[in-house]
Amino acid sequence: MSDPLEAATTAGRTALTESEAKEVLSARGVSVPDGETAQTPEGAVDAADRLGYPVVVKIESPSVQHKSDWGDGVGVALGLQDGAAVADAASAILETADEQGIDAAVRVESALEVDDGIEVIVGGTRDPSFGPTVLVGLGGVAVEILQDTSHRLAPVTSEEALAMTHELEASDLLDGYRGEPAVDRKAIAEAIQIVGEFLVEEPAVSEVEVNPLLAQPDGALALDALIALSPDDRNESE
Amino acid sequence: MALDSLFDPDGIAVVGASATAGKIGYEAMQNAVTYDAPVYPVNPSGSGTVFGREFVPSVTEIDGDVDLVLSCVPGLVVPDVIEECGEAGIGAAVIFSGGFAEAGKDGEQLQQRLVEAADDGDVHLLGPNTSGFLRPGENLHATFATGTEDIPAGNVAIVAQSGGIAFATAFRAENEGWGVSAMVGLGNAANVGFQEAVKYFDGDDGTDAIVLHVEGTDDARGLLETCRSASTPVVAYNVGEQDVGDFAESHTGSLTGDHKLYEAGFAQYGVPTVRSVAELVDAGTALADCPRPSGPNVGVVTAQAGPGIAITDRLKAAGATLPSLSEETQAVVEDILPGITFSANPVDTGRPMPEFGEVVEAVARDENVDIVLVYELFEEGLGFPTETLEGLPEATGKPIVFATGGARSALEPELEAMSECGIPTYTTPERGADAVTALVQYARRNSKPAVAASEVSDDE
Repeated sequence: MSDPLEAATTAGRTALTESEAKEVLSARGVSVPDGETAQTPEGAVDAADRLGYPVVVKIESPSVQHKSDWGDGVGVALGLQDGAAVADAASAILETADEQGIDAAVRVESALEVDDGIEVIVGGTRDPSFGPTVLVGLGGVAVEILQDTSHRLAPVTSEEALAMTHELEASDLLDGYRGEPAVDRKAIAEAIQIVGEFLVEEPAVSEVEVNPLLAQPDGALALDALIALSPDDRNESE
Repeated sequence: MALDSLFDPDGIAVVGASATAGKIGYEAMQNAVTYDAPVYPVNPSGSGTVFGREFVPSVTEIDGDVDLVLSCVPGLVVPDVIEECGEAGIGAAVIFSGGFAEAGKDGEQLQQRLVEAADDGDVHLLGPNTSGFLRPGENLHATFATGTEDIPAGNVAIVAQSGGIAFATAFRAENEGWGVSAMVGLGNAANVGFQEAVKYFDGDDGTDAIVLHVEGTDDARGLLETCRSASTPVVAYNVGEQDVGDFAESHTGSLTGDHKLYEAGFAQYGVPTVRSVAELVDAGTALADCPRPSGPNVGVVTAQAGPGIAITDRLKAAGATLPSLSEETQAVVEDILPGITFSANPVDTGRPMPEFGEVVEAVARDENVDIVLVYELFEEGLGFPTETLEGLPEATGKPIVFATGGARSALEPELEAMSECGIPTYTTPERGADAVTALVQYARRNSKPAVAASEVSDDE
């Protein structure tokens, strides 16, 4: 198996694509939705037919990290119900990429019912003073506005990772609120642990973010993933 | 120990010593001569004597043992002084002057030259940009600050990033009637930093707790690992909750680290944390004077309901556990005080009384209790139950902490008697609760395995 991390590091890139990041994290035990990468609108439709509808179509490019902000919003298309919709979305992505002169492909993924869970963020950084660190937070507004996060130095034990989920102000939400089912705290904790170990074991990785991680009653899925790399020269100067 | 030349020197040279009152070189000299070892004033333009010691032109020309230099000269000439220290075999120097890494590019270069000179000559540097250190028990006042001789000897070592906070903490201890085994301001920490200082005082027989003030360091992980491997309890005060990075950088030349990471890191590595100088002193005293708590379960005894409620509320908010007392203990308490107001936990005796000490003892002997916190307003006719309490911390192996209120003049001798019983006593309910919170954190964060998890499950 070709290692996307090694390939990207050798090529001097500063980030993995979403597909690469998911491949790397998936190999370490983080669950990801089924998906394929296509180079053309036709390829995207074939992929969607194989995966089954509805699907999500997203831009796949090392130069684009904030996909939903990119290209006036054409970078991410959710809940596509048929081949025509997939072809349109894929064409929009590839044409915009062409206009901007960037290398891009299209990622097609099985769409998940996000109402069947809670979005959390799981991430980690390599801090110059603390070394590898991990964080968990409630996704979306909670993390941005309320900064409801819990932090640890990595690596963390499974007990510590679980404790992090309990430390969140919104922790009770994970246990099921107003009749919603409880989500799988252990699966969130596992993702935290994996991110921490990954940072500890791979010194070239400067940042990891799974956002959102969709926590469901049985398991948790990385809907998006980012892995940033620090170029070798930056490592050495520190 | 590597830092003996700094903290336990056989002789001191004051470089830049002056006979002019008010100059740093005069104040440092005045402080240094209280130490029971030869002290040499060094100044090429000095003549005659100062404080009865004859001026020497250079550290290389001192006839006698010198381990420590107090450098009172301007920053630009400090690297040369350190080079001479190396030549003279002097192992340590305190550098008071600023203008180093905290002062921009030129300062950084100057500090680099300084560190190179120190490395070449094998000189341990405290500072630059520090107000120095104190070891009151040895009459060693390696500082230019005045009034430090009033800070008594004690068993808590203060290691502060800022010299100002170091003194603020030491004077707070003095104000409360407590002493310190050492007070150290690290300043720019050119080659003696937190790790070196914590290791040194961990090995110091006179130090029973180490309190840290941390703005930010470039090796937080190393600091945390050092704290974890220290057998002496460490408490930390990290400043920077509101992201005061800009100020901190100009202040000490190092960026303030991320407060959340410090809080998380200290919790992971077994270090209780506090949020003020006053709390730092209180927590340090509790950890230094009490037996190590073996668990987080607090038994509260109060002679007045209101303060007891305030204490209980604060302890619970901080995540402490108040277990039920055993039936045996409750029976003993009810036997001592028939018709007692509240005999569960907290135990509320309703008022001070002669039997109060016996109630405290019964709770301290309860197998469900790891730490005892007592509140009792001071009553002249009764006094504190020191006769019953004497030896109780040792006998039970449990921390017993008191909080009280009373007129200063009446309390002072009583507090001293309590202190002699090994019972730290605080003068508000909340201070008692906060000090006990540090003990609870210490117990939780150093229990095995996976502390943080238990910290949470008890909250729920």
